[in-house]
Amino acid sequence: MNRRVLEELLAIARDPYPKLRAWKKGGERKIIGSTLADVPEELIHAAGMLPFTILGTNKPILRANTHLPDNACSQARSDLELVLTYQGDLFDGYVLPQVDDTTQHLADIWRRNASWDYFERFLLPRQVDRPSARQWLLDETLRLKRSLESFTGKEITEGKLWESIGFYNQGRQQLRLLYEMKSRHPDFITNREFFDLIKSSMWWPKEEHNCLLDTFISSIEETDLEDKGGEGIRVILSGIVWEPPEIMDILDESALKVVGDDLCTGWRYIDPDVEANGDPLRAIVDRHFKKGPFTPIYDKGNRIFENLLNLVTRNRAEGIIYLHINFNESQDYDLPDLIDNMEREGVPIFVVETEYQTTHLTGVRTRIQAFGESLAQK
Amino acid sequence: MGEQAAEKPKAKEVMKRLTKDYYGGALRAHDEGKFVAYTTAVSPVELFYAHDIIPIYPENHAVMCLTGRMMPRLSLEIEKRGYTSHLCAYARSDLGYRALQESPIGGIPDPDFLLACNAQCFTLTKWFQVLSRRYGVPVFVFDTPQYIRKDEARKNIIQYVEHQLAEMIKALEELTGRKFDHDRLREVLGYSAEASKLYKEFLDLASIKPSPISIFDALIHMAITVYLRGTKEAVDYYRLLIEEIKEEKVSKGIGVIPNERFRLYWENLPIWFKFRDHFDFLAAHNAVILTSLYTHAWSYDFDVSNPIRTLAENYTSVFSNVELEERAERALTLFRQYSLNGNIMFLNRSCKAVTFGVFELKDMLTKETGIPALVFESDMGDPRFYSEVQIRTRLEAYLETLDRMGVG
Repeated sequence: MNRRVLEELLAIARDPYPKLRAWKKGGERKIIGSTLADVPEELIHAAGMLPFTILGTNKPILRANTHLPDNACSQARSDLELVLTYQGDLFDGYVLPQVDDTTQHLADIWRRNASWDYFERFLLPRQVDRPSARQWLLDETLRLKRSLESFTGKEITEGKLWESIGFYNQGRQQLRLLYEMKSRHPDFITNREFFDLIKSSMWWPKEEHNCLLDTFISSIEETDLEDKGGEGIRVILSGIVWEPPEIMDILDESALKVVGDDLCTGWRYIDPDVEANGDPLRAIVDRHFKKGPFTPIYDKGNRIFENLLNLVTRNRAEGIIYLHINFNESQDYDLPDLIDNMEREGVPIFVVETEYQTTHLTGVRTRIQAFGESLAQK
Repeated sequence: MGEQAAEKPKAKEVMKRLTKDYYGGALRAHDEGKFVAYTTAVSPVELFYAHDIIPIYPENHAVMCLTGRMMPRLSLEIEKRGYTSHLCAYARSDLGYRALQESPIGGIPDPDFLLACNAQCFTLTKWFQVLSRRYGVPVFVFDTPQYIRKDEARKNIIQYVEHQLAEMIKALEELTGRKFDHDRLREVLGYSAEASKLYKEFLDLASIKPSPISIFDALIHMAITVYLRGTKEAVDYYRLLIEEIKEEKVSKGIGVIPNERFRLYWENLPIWFKFRDHFDFLAAHNAVILTSLYTHAWSYDFDVSNPIRTLAENYTSVFSNVELEERAERALTLFRQYSLNGNIMFLNRSCKAVTFGVFELKDMLTKETGIPALVFESDMGDPRFYSEVQIRTRLEAYLETLDRMGVG
């Protein structure tokens, strides 16, 4: 396989900012930042700008603490810190969604304290089990479209939007193909490498990223897919994000092979595609309602639990590793019942307490290794 | 001899009777073939009253547990089950009650339906999802997007919320097997409108100098509009209450404290287990907390000519669901209207929705009023996170600061 191309993509995932600054200098290029989750990137792309999903920073918190209470989750804190201290000058504007209390109120604080030329809210429905949510999302997506057009002074035509959708669909398909290969041949790429590829796709111009991924995928040979000495232990990763990134390294060291997940920076980003028919805005909205569950968004019944069990069954997983961000209330309310459910179904589940800026992972490493060993003994 | 005039009842006694009847009725509901719905304190409860469904507020019951200082025991029980101590004190108290079956009023009935409106906060929707799983009953998440100050967004938001009201009516019809009566809704809304107006009139008594009421009176008397809004009883209650206060205090120039000097604003929910203590402590320093955006959250302004529209507008635009600048403007209106000269801002670890923007609000309010703010952290219901000495010291120091500034 072409490791040079792989390394180029991984370098974007590990630190996208120097390359993005160079990219920006190359022309009239604007970058619009969004926090998780579900801002329609295709729309920002069709407006001629680069959509960038802000995933915080693991650098020290210097300013955000003066704006936020102590129990703000570390993801929100580090998102704000990134734009106040480290990379704020890179962004031309922001589209911030609302999913819970933190993101709702963070947006006001962000708007008042970060520098920007463009600032917009994207008020996603927080219930998706009734028809009203669909019309609301369509109205809100149309409002975002008009807002972007007003900022750029250019119309987002249907043609442009379909073209952007095409790029994003292609990127998703490539990543799903790699995921399938990983599930069948867990040794060919590490967990860290694969999930870094997803990260890089959230950060780099889609057309170029697709080309690089295409080159990488085309270079994969049969010998790359050979079993290298043990299938390892197949696990499902559950949660919202995988941070700090070293957690993936720990999974790799412990021979825990992620064969499925429900993360916003994992499967939920790469599935499904926008269906290419009809009105493109409606198609984008339709895609939203086919996405996997997301803990702050209410859906019918116990969809999160059912989805997790399906992932375990479909991927022949032996257990679940749940990444719990400290002070994330959605997860806090879900966890006790989720653990009960999984235990009732006989599915081993291990909860990793995590947060951004965590520097001491020894305890986490030991516990993940112990979990892996317990699965290996079954 | 003539007939003796019947003695007018005291508002306190009426409140006791109304509360007893309300909870008594709720506990009998299932035996009487009625449905019980759990709902959040800011929610279109008028639909329930119009459809003869008893609304119960787990938050309200939780407050009773918190004022009864039951929190540590209730929270420890559910912490054993995996819930963290930094979750909302109301939720912890409620889940702890269900685990231990301990309640200051003998408990509340189990629900047939759950309505979770996220205008107050999103955490309510997650708490109610836990209850939905526990009781196997549906939860209707009434989604009110943040009421941002953009015309197009506001128009769409109201349409979305109206659409959801129609969905909720349908859900209630399916639950009960009965057709919804929109005429009855108009009647109920008429009572809500009148009660809300009277409630606001009651709160505004605090603008008088000296004020006949404090925020602690507001917190006590707020209960009736929270859980009996939509009933004639609520209207009659606030009329009686206002009359009583005017007669006993306003007409005689009697203030709730004897030497009122510092008229304070309070940001956030109250510290439920300390409010008597806080009142006494502050009164000893000639200070009284008069108001908060929190107590004003129930001063709705309903337009009964368009019930669905007015329900959508009022329940979406509550203070916790607007942008920070609008929240500050509403607070500043209270500063002016109530002649406030001090500002206590409580960082409530139990309530991110209201606490998150406190630092920004502090800057905005201080800049506009010139009044410094005291900011301190604690928990609205959990004494384990309340530091008596520290908070008293800070309150004293703050009042000394105001004194040195020549305030009051």
